[in-house]
Amino acid sequence: MIAQQLLNGIVVGGVYALFALGFNLVFGIQRILNLAHGAVFMAGAFTAWYTVVNGGPLWLGFLLAMALSGCLSVLIELVCFRRLRRTGDEEFGAIISSIGASLVIMTIAQRISGTRIVRFPFDTFPIQIYQVAGLRISLLQLFMAAAAFALVVVMAWFVYRTPWGRRIRAVTENARAAMLTGVNPNAVYRQTYFMAGALAGAAGVLVGLAFNSIHYMMGEPYLLFGFVIIILGGLGSIPGALLAALLFGMMQTLTIAFLPTGLTNAVIFLGLFLILLLRPHGLLGREEAGQLRGRR
Amino acid sequence: MASLYNAWGPILDLYLLQLGFAFSQYLVLRAGVFSLATAALAAIGAYTAGILAVKHGVHPALGILAGTGMGTAAALVLSWPLARLRGVYQAIATLAFVQIVLSLNIWAEGLTGGAMGLMNIPRVVGTPGLLAAAVAVTYIIWAIGRTRIGRTFDVIRENEAVAVSLGVSVPRWQALAFALSGAIAGLFGALEAFHSYALDPNIFGFSFLIATLSYVVFGGRKSVLGPLVGTAVLILLPELARPLAENRVLVYGLLLILVINFLPRGVADTLLDAWHRRRLARRSAAAAEALR
Repeated sequence: MIAQQLLNGIVVGGVYALFALGFNLVFGIQRILNLAHGAVFMAGAFTAWYTVVNGGPLWLGFLLAMALSGCLSVLIELVCFRRLRRTGDEEFGAIISSIGASLVIMTIAQRISGTRIVRFPFDTFPIQIYQVAGLRISLLQLFMAAAAFALVVVMAWFVYRTPWGRRIRAVTENARAAMLTGVNPNAVYRQTYFMAGALAGAAGVLVGLAFNSIHYMMGEPYLLFGFVIIILGGLGSIPGALLAALLFGMMQTLTIAFLPTGLTNAVIFLGLFLILLLRPHGLLGREEAGQLRGRR
Repeated sequence: MASLYNAWGPILDLYLLQLGFAFSQYLVLRAGVFSLATAALAAIGAYTAGILAVKHGVHPALGILAGTGMGTAAALVLSWPLARLRGVYQAIATLAFVQIVLSLNIWAEGLTGGAMGLMNIPRVVGTPGLLAAAVAVTYIIWAIGRTRIGRTFDVIRENEAVAVSLGVSVPRWQALAFALSGAIAGLFGALEAFHSYALDPNIFGFSFLIATLSYVVFGGRKSVLGPLVGTAVLILLPELARPLAENRVLVYGLLLILVINFLPRGVADTLLDAWHRRRLARRSAAAAEALR
């Protein structure tokens, strides 16, 4: 029973990781909390649903969702954050402008869906359940885990092993110094936001498939989970976010299975609170959170 | 006059209540603490007052006092662990605190009425009561801001290293900011309880927290005018946009993006800064003229 819940937790955690990694990239590179990330995630789920309902295959829907979410994320950066960054007040101002963006995207989705909960057609994904060593795992769960794993590997390869990734890491470390070596930060921001959006879109499709309920508010709880995961793992740390996402997924499935409903969130967030007190900069964070520094 | 009040009275009441929560958020931000705990502290104040009134028949005045006290106490307790954290980490830790309070409110059904909410709270606070509380709080915050307390908060926010080098005990001053913020949140939470018949735990959730934060950031985080202006604009906008019907939220979102892009420090702060600069320029021009 516990093993089964742990398995479910790993699958859920993989999807959280997709969502949180994009969130983390953006925060790492610009120190901006992008509150529209949940809306981008929701847009991905809607794109895949729209493709499938109109007769397209699921894989096409998946790719379109990633592409559209990526573009949407770049658009948010251009419209909401670029001007603010020049004024130097982006730490708080970005909160307002990204709330604005998320309201706009959510209203459009609400209009398209007519405020209904939409579902994928019954046979979109084959229902098949395997029994392995007493554990039940569905084909969908296998697919989710595999897709999450593959995307995380591709992203890590991109960030750590390619020239583009080196530029991203350089700008994350110090945008001005990167500029002196001939890196154009705005191009790097575009790539980062595209990647973050595409990962969120993929997570949206996977969540839409898993719970088979897509609606315009679906991004909000994930935004909260995303916050928790990137802080728990340590801001800007990719392995940290991965570890935190898996831990968070397992904690969530375990508490839902074994605790009275209603107490789940209390226990999860109490755990988060305590971890933060013991490790003030997250599980694998490098940045000294208690450092003395001037803030605007 | 009476019909004007009937149309706009509920919005005025809403404004006064939200103004209190905005000031609670403003105080912690002013002292350089990125806390989002106002939602939880308001919930604690509201439920303390509501439970005392409904289950124990306590007089509302005492209930409001108890709510304020509980808000202050909870904030003080919270400020002690939070002194270890900074910036976004504080924001997330307090977000966790909000979630804990929210889910305990839903879970403790016997005490709080659970997800159904707490019903039958006597409605004893009207517009005059809210107005008095809002004016008093505005005055107190304005007055505090002009004393040593306000200046110390400003130093801590602008540069913590400088504050420490000047002999300011940062955790102690931030605990003071927290306690004041908790008292205001508890007070207005209790007022909300006695203003609206019923309490529902989800009032004080994620959207409450985002709304309170945006009142302050939209208006301005430094001057006392900030929360006053920010709350007014953000509450009035949806009402004025009523003729737009279903495009209301769309327009609201676009306006948020537009305004913060062009007035990045918040409406009141950016305009005040521009005004100060112009006055300085005029003065120096006059001085140059006199010298010639």
